[in-house]
Parts: sequence; C-alpha cells; structure tokens
Amino acid sequence: MTLRFKFILGVAAALMLATLPWFASPTLIQFGISTLLLATLAQGWNIIGGFTGYASFGNSEFFGLGSYGTAIAMVQWQLPFGVGLIFGVLLSVIFALVVGIPVLRLRGHYFAIATLALSQVMTAIVSNLEVAGRNTGLVLPLLNGDTLFYELSLAVLLLATLTVLWISNSRFGFGLIAIRENEDAAASMGVNTTLYKVLAFALAGVFSALAGGIHAYWITFIDPVSAFDLSLNVKMIIMTVFGGPGSVLGPVIGAFVLSGISETLSTEISSLANLFFGVVIVAAVVFMPRGLADLMRRFRKTGWRYFSENVKQHRL
Amino acid sequence: MTPPPLLEIRGLSKRFGGLVAVDDVNFSLASGETLGLIGPNGAGKTTLINLISGSITPTTGDILFEGRSIKDLTAFKRARLGIGRTFQIMKPFPGLSVLDNVAIGALFGTSETAKALRTARDEADQWLELMDLSRYADRRADELGGPDRKRLELAKAMAMKPKLLLLDEVMAGLNHVEINEVIEAIKKVRNTGISVLVIEHVIKVIQRLSDRLLVLHHGQQIVEGKPGVVLADPRVIEAYLGRRRA
Ligand SMILES: Nc1ncnc2c1ncn2[C@@H]1O[C@H](COP(=O)(O)OP(=O)(O)OP(=O)(O)O)[C@@H](O)[C@H]1O
Ligand SMILES: [Mg+2]
Repeated sequence: MTLRFKFILGVAAALMLATLPWFASPTLIQFGISTLLLATLAQGWNIIGGFTGYASFGNSEFFGLGSYGTAIAMVQWQLPFGVGLIFGVLLSVIFALVVGIPVLRLRGHYFAIATLALSQVMTAIVSNLEVAGRNTGLVLPLLNGDTLFYELSLAVLLLATLTVLWISNSRFGFGLIAIRENEDAAASMGVNTTLYKVLAFALAGVFSALAGGIHAYWITFIDPVSAFDLSLNVKMIIMTVFGGPGSVLGPVIGAFVLSGISETLSTEISSLANLFFGVVIVAAVVFMPRGLADLMRRFRKTGWRYFSENVKQHRL
Repeated sequence: MTPPPLLEIRGLSKRFGGLVAVDDVNFSLASGETLGLIGPNGAGKTTLINLISGSITPTTGDILFEGRSIKDLTAFKRARLGIGRTFQIMKPFPGLSVLDNVAIGALFGTSETAKALRTARDEADQWLELMDLSRYADRRADELGGPDRKRLELAKAMAMKPKLLLLDEVMAGLNHVEINEVIEAIKKVRNTGISVLVIEHVIKVIQRLSDRLLVLHHGQQIVEGKPGVVLADPRVIEAYLGRRRA
C-alpha cells in the first residue's frame, strides 16, 4: 500500500466513523462512545507498554485522575467542562512525573507490581478527600447529548492515534523502541532513557485522563472504586496486545474487535461470554503474540505457517 | 604545548562490596591509538569499560575525556560526547531491523539532537556497507548469525561517530576464519582515525591490533607497554599466559 492510499483510507475511515451518529441507534452510539474511549485508553497504554516496553498498571490511575479532575472542577468549583478536562489532564501529568521518576527506575515485573500497588493507594486517598466526595463520589451535571460525547471521543482517539503515528516515525519514538528492545544498549548509544520513559508515561497519562474526563461527564457519576478500577487497565493491555503493541492502528483495531465480540456475546449468551473471551485471548497470545497488526502484515508472505512458527518460536 | 590525551584514567577504583574489581588504575590513550586490554577472567576488564562508558560509577578516581572530567556524567551524555562501546554479552535491539539498529546509533550517538530519521537511515546504510551487512539491512537483528552480529555491534557503535571506541571481546565464540573477518572490520574502523580500547582473550588477535598493551590482574594494572615487551614479561606470563599454557 502506498502512503497516499493509506492516508486516503484513514481519512475515509475517520469520516465514516464521524457520521455514524446520524444513522445509528442510540444503543449503538452508546456502544460507540465506550469503544472509542477504550480505544483511546489502549492507544495511551500502547505508548508506555507497546513502544517503551513498560507494562504499566498505572494507566487506570490516569483515567481515574482525569475523571476526578473533571468532576471536581465542574461540581465543586462550577467550572466549564473544558477547563475540568484540562485540570484532569494536569493532575494526571503531575502524577506521571512524580510517580514516574522513581517507579520507572524499576524494570520488568517490578515496574508492573509497583504500578499495581498504586491503584490501591489512589482509591484510599480519594475515599478520604472531602473535595472528591469521599466514599460516595460525585454527581456531575447532566448533559443529554450522546452525539456530542461520541464526536468528542472520536476526536480524542484521532488525536491519540495521530500522536502515535508521529511517535512511530520520529526520533522520540525510536528512542522509546530502543529502550524497549534493550535499555542498557539504548543508554550507551546516547538515548536519554530517564527523560524518554517519563515523557512516554506522561503522554500515556494525557490520553487516559482525557478519556477519563469525557467518561465521567458522560456517565455523570463517579466513585473511588469504579474510577480507579484495575480491570480497566487489564482491558487496555488485552486490547493493545491483541491488536499489536507498538503499532499505530493495532490498539484501535484490538479495541474495536474485542469490544464487538464482548458486546455480542454478553447479549446473546452472557454466562459463556467471559469464558469465550478468555479463550480468545489465550489463543491470541499463543498463536499471534505480536498482535493482529503483525498477523496482517506477515500472513500474506507466510500463510498458515505464521501460526505454527509463532508456537514453535515460543516453545509452547 | 601538546594537547591533552583523548582519554586519561587517574587512580580509578571500583569496589563491589568486599571485592576491589578495579584497583587504582592509571593510563592514558592518545588520539588514533589502539590500546589492548588483557588479563585473566575476572581481572576487571569489563568493569573498567563499564566505568569509562558510564554504566557504573567509580568508587574513587577520575576519568578525563579530552581533558574534561566525565566521571559524573550519565552514560547517554558520554555517548554523545564521543564514547561508543560494544558489550561482551551482546545487546542488539532484537526486534528491530538491522538497518534501524544502526540508525539508532546515528540518531542518538552524536551531539546533533535534531537529526531526521531519513538522514540517520542513510548514514546507517553506509556503515552497513562498510561492515559488509547491506544484504541483511531489512532482517530482524536476532536473525543474524555469530560474526554478522559482531559486525552489527561494530556498525551500531560506529554510527555514533565516536572518538573513542570500547570493544569488549568482540571475537569471543568465533572460529579462525570469522575472527579474521572481524579483525578486518576492526581495522577498517581504526583507519577512520579513532582511538580504540580493545579487550580480547586471543593473544594473537590483540597483538595484531594494538599499538600498546595494558595487563590487568585482580583489578591492578601489572604491566603496560609495547605488545612484544609486555607479552615477554615474566609477570604477565605468570598471571595470564602461564595459566593458559599449563
Ligand atoms: N555488578 C557487579 N557486582 C558485583 N561484582 C561484580 C560486578 N561486576 C563484576 N563483578 C566482579 O568483578 C570482578 C571483575 O569482573 P569483570 O567482569 O570486570 O572481569 P573481566 O576481566 O571482564 O572478566 P572476563 O574475562 O571473564 O570477561 C569479577 O570478580 C566479577 O565477579
Ligand atoms: Mg569481561
């Protein structure tokens, strides 16, 4: 595919998605909003997890801070939504810098565990803050306008995806990839590893917080447990890994496909849905560990051998 | 007035708990010179290279590069000043193409911090050609075999346009033919006029490459000088060669 063709295809897909609210049912629009937000979250995780190779469990904190920042600004200080969104992003970036500098020194599993522990801490902190409504949470002003939320979510996803596209072709992105592939070698070749890791973490924080803010205003109610829900972070990881970590469109495709499957299954046969979902994920990890993006790129050349080679390569 | 040596090591020591891995080492390296670093296993050779490249910090002593102390600089800053290295346990970027492995050196290894990706890839192309790797440019780095990997390590370090290159046992695990190939590659690198600090176990190899030899034993430098003289020194024979001959 030539570059121009890809560009045209991308614009067409974005336009098609943008017109959806004018012919889709309200249920489908709602499904669309939550899928677009999940895709944005996956794209955020892609920056720190996919490109930089740091398996973060801290991204649901970014989401929570985005939600709470927006809610506090709107409910407690009567500020407009846009300002709230920016406040949420700011909280998230500060969190990324303060926590990232010490935590990003840890590698591999230690980093994952440290970020995992943080989500518990955040829930505890927020539950005790008067301004955040303690245990009961906050109720945001009601805005009836799913089309608006849908377009806003789409815009944020586009922004995230364009950012990742830029990353994948930039010096910055190459620095992140070098860190993922071998951090010691990256440093000895001149990559400012500490700065790059913290920037990647903060950038992931920006998009997760935007998704969190939009979600809070859309849902109109947040509480400490649901805002800092760890299973949301797990979803981001699954979608990114399924679609193709470190690719530009992988996380988006992963989010669309898996949300679609999960939605269909839960309406048809809800009891089997979770089981099937688990099976799909295990199969994906075994047969296509580099995600859908890699499968689509290489399948034409290797054919069905693609799957057997992956299994062999990982000695499963 | 003579210019300062490219690299000057002053009273450098590194202690790991109770073990003194590098013990009061002093030497200097002129521009364009190749210094061979030899010594038995565990002598502290890799530790010395790690100290110079900034992977670890010294317990005492100083490191001067072009007359300036670099001991407090982080590894990435030293890389940009002009210190390139290879690793004894090779560290390629396995999932990246051979070309992009080298391009990362060109992107980050110099003081130029706004280089375009395309420029870096063009430069990488030239290093691949010099190292005879052009045909593998699009392969993943982890698909390369032994000697090609070593040459990739060299190309990656060279793309940083270093003034000083630190080579840690690039010949290990190669057969005679392959060793000769890599020696030729190193000679090409040396002919660009840079200084090289090379660690090697194979005495014949180090003799062919070095202007001067430095022998480490239990972290201490025991002899330094012309290869012929050093290798004939009884202390060296006892510490290093003696063990091999036995
Ligand atoms: N990070 C570390 N922590 C503790 N001890 C270390 C560390 N790195 C090296 N050592 C010890 O320091 C000593 C010198 O090790 P070094 O790797 O520098 O030797 P070397 O001369 O490169 O040996 P070889 O020829 O086997 O590569 C060894 O006893 C080693 O076990
Ligand atoms: Mg060594």
